[in-house]
Amino acid sequence: MRNARITLCAALVAVGGALGFAGPAAAQTTINVVTAGDQNMVDYVNNFLGPRFEKQNPGVKVRAVGTGPGDAGSQKIYEKLSAQQKAGIASWDTDVAVVHQRGAATMVKENLLAPYRNDVAAGRLVTRDTARNALGQNVDGYVIPMFHSQIAFAYNPAVVRQPPRSYSELAEWVKKNPKQFGYNGVKGGMSGVGFVMGWVSANSGMADQLEKGPYDPAKKAVIDRSLASLKEFNQYVVMTPGNAGTLDMLNRGEIAMGPVWVDMFYTWVADGKMPPNIKLELPRPGLPGQPMYYVVPAKAANAQLARRFVDFAASPEIQAEGIVKQFNWYPGIDAQHVRSKMDEKSWNKLFTDISPEALASYGRPFPLSEYFTDILEGYERVVLK
Amino acid sequence: MRSRPWAGLALAAPALALVAIFFVGPLMMSAVLAFRGKDGGFTTEHFAKAFELYSTDLLFSAVIVVVSTAAIGAVAIAIAGYLTLGEHPRTQAILRWLYRWPLFIPFIVTAQVMRTFLAKNGMLNHVLIGGGLIDPLQAQSLLDWRGIVIAFVWKQAPFVTLLLAGAMAAIDRQHIEAARNLGAGRLRVLFGIVLPQSRRTLLVGLVLSFVTMLSVLSVPMMINPNSPTMLTVDIAYRINSHGDYAVANALCLMSLVLASFGAWFYLREAARKVERT
Repeated sequence: MRNARITLCAALVAVGGALGFAGPAAAQTTINVVTAGDQNMVDYVNNFLGPRFEKQNPGVKVRAVGTGPGDAGSQKIYEKLSAQQKAGIASWDTDVAVVHQRGAATMVKENLLAPYRNDVAAGRLVTRDTARNALGQNVDGYVIPMFHSQIAFAYNPAVVRQPPRSYSELAEWVKKNPKQFGYNGVKGGMSGVGFVMGWVSANSGMADQLEKGPYDPAKKAVIDRSLASLKEFNQYVVMTPGNAGTLDMLNRGEIAMGPVWVDMFYTWVADGKMPPNIKLELPRPGLPGQPMYYVVPAKAANAQLARRFVDFAASPEIQAEGIVKQFNWYPGIDAQHVRSKMDEKSWNKLFTDISPEALASYGRPFPLSEYFTDILEGYERVVLK
Repeated sequence: MRSRPWAGLALAAPALALVAIFFVGPLMMSAVLAFRGKDGGFTTEHFAKAFELYSTDLLFSAVIVVVSTAAIGAVAIAIAGYLTLGEHPRTQAILRWLYRWPLFIPFIVTAQVMRTFLAKNGMLNHVLIGGGLIDPLQAQSLLDWRGIVIAFVWKQAPFVTLLLAGAMAAIDRQHIEAARNLGAGRLRVLFGIVLPQSRRTLLVGLVLSFVTMLSVLSVPMMINPNSPTMLTVDIAYRINSHGDYAVANALCLMSLVLASFGAWFYLREAARKVERT
């Protein structure tokens, strides 16, 4: 009996203590950062951005949520915001979102985002066209690029002495070296999608129109014609299971060449998952790349804090240390602001195989949303049938 | 005693409500949305598109699942048969302990394991080459339809074996011993005496596997997401990449038709069993 009383007292003290601790914790503000993309995006917010931002802003907690890779991840964020808008909720529980171009375009079109770029200092450090235009949709003021990423061919120079420099050379090359080129189709991630977009740009003769518009639904026939040659091309190549699948097969020596995301590639090399002799190359007339954007939902619960967070994340110091040095992405804000903040060696590492000039000429944007959809469906209709 | 039908109904009501809200409701909505056009009217354009783009995949899914089901049946009969009729207790014990392992491994882990095991320069080929069974140049990747079938059989065969071995163990041993006394070999006993008596359990297990495999996304997604692939991958792709729920719903209904063959079979067997008892 006495024992029971002591236990009870101890329990009460413990509860009191817990409540006492919970007091200041409850006063904390939590900022929800929802990010599309691979696990590395969540890691970046959790391990890099979050702790630094929390240190600068006592009482603030950064919570990162990942919604999955590719446009699918952005689509999930869009669906959540759209549902909250339709339900007429006054304050939305996403404070900052990181989305792809397609997602950002839809969100701006449906008034889901706040025009915040001019409210933050870092907004003035972005002048690239991707900060104003996302796949044909005007997003000026609503987005700040977090980073730019680029698709390029990775190849094994021990097997491929002279990598093909254009799509037509590639088409010849695969006939001489069957099953040595691999890509992941259109259902296994964006590096495969990007390759298909690049192929159509190169072979349809409408590269400019695909990127800049105007959209003309009658061009489907032209797109389908350029895809017919891809069907023949596919007979000589290996289909890989996903973005990482292409890297896996390169690593195991099962293919000698394939399109990959540059940042993933460098991370794999840095982690020792990829032989360091593998090189990158950008074919003519180019392969697509894309930024991911920081956006602030129109009715974010912590709108001011969200702006402060993005301002911090897009500052030159953070871009230099986190985006370029640790995660191997190309910077989101204009390069000159970032370059001055870091040592020459780390900066040059990004441009070992692909020079800044090549990147500027052959790093292309993705086609307009409408063409993007037409090409994907054309691929299913023409190439996969 | 007066029978009170409402009491029985009241007892079943929570379960029925759950089924109605979480299963029948969404199913109806999916069916309705598959036929609703942009203007809200009735349309079959989503089905037209689904057939235009994915008829190969529909066929592919059906073939993969049927082939896998047949292979699972063969493996299950072999293992359960040995567990029942084998004459070497230690081998039986080891087999009984080993065969259940895949039961506890999720599909996605299975897919991940197969991805490195079956690759061209993967473990399987390394073993075959190292053992001198094939030349390095003959090594080929099994990460296509064969990979999916292998993953499915590896994962589902233990489930069917578990059911089948249970049913076989329940058979009166005297039947087996009588047959053996009259000079029947073990194979003859298996196919003439044991299997006919446990046939129903085998069929039920196979039907459940059939329906499960039809709905697995992770395995085809990780092993062979490119054409031709299974319907689940296409459904995920329509939703994730295009936000196109209409065609996805049409595809779901198509896969429902495939699954309902299994359900029909299952119900028919279940009904027969009730009639007999």
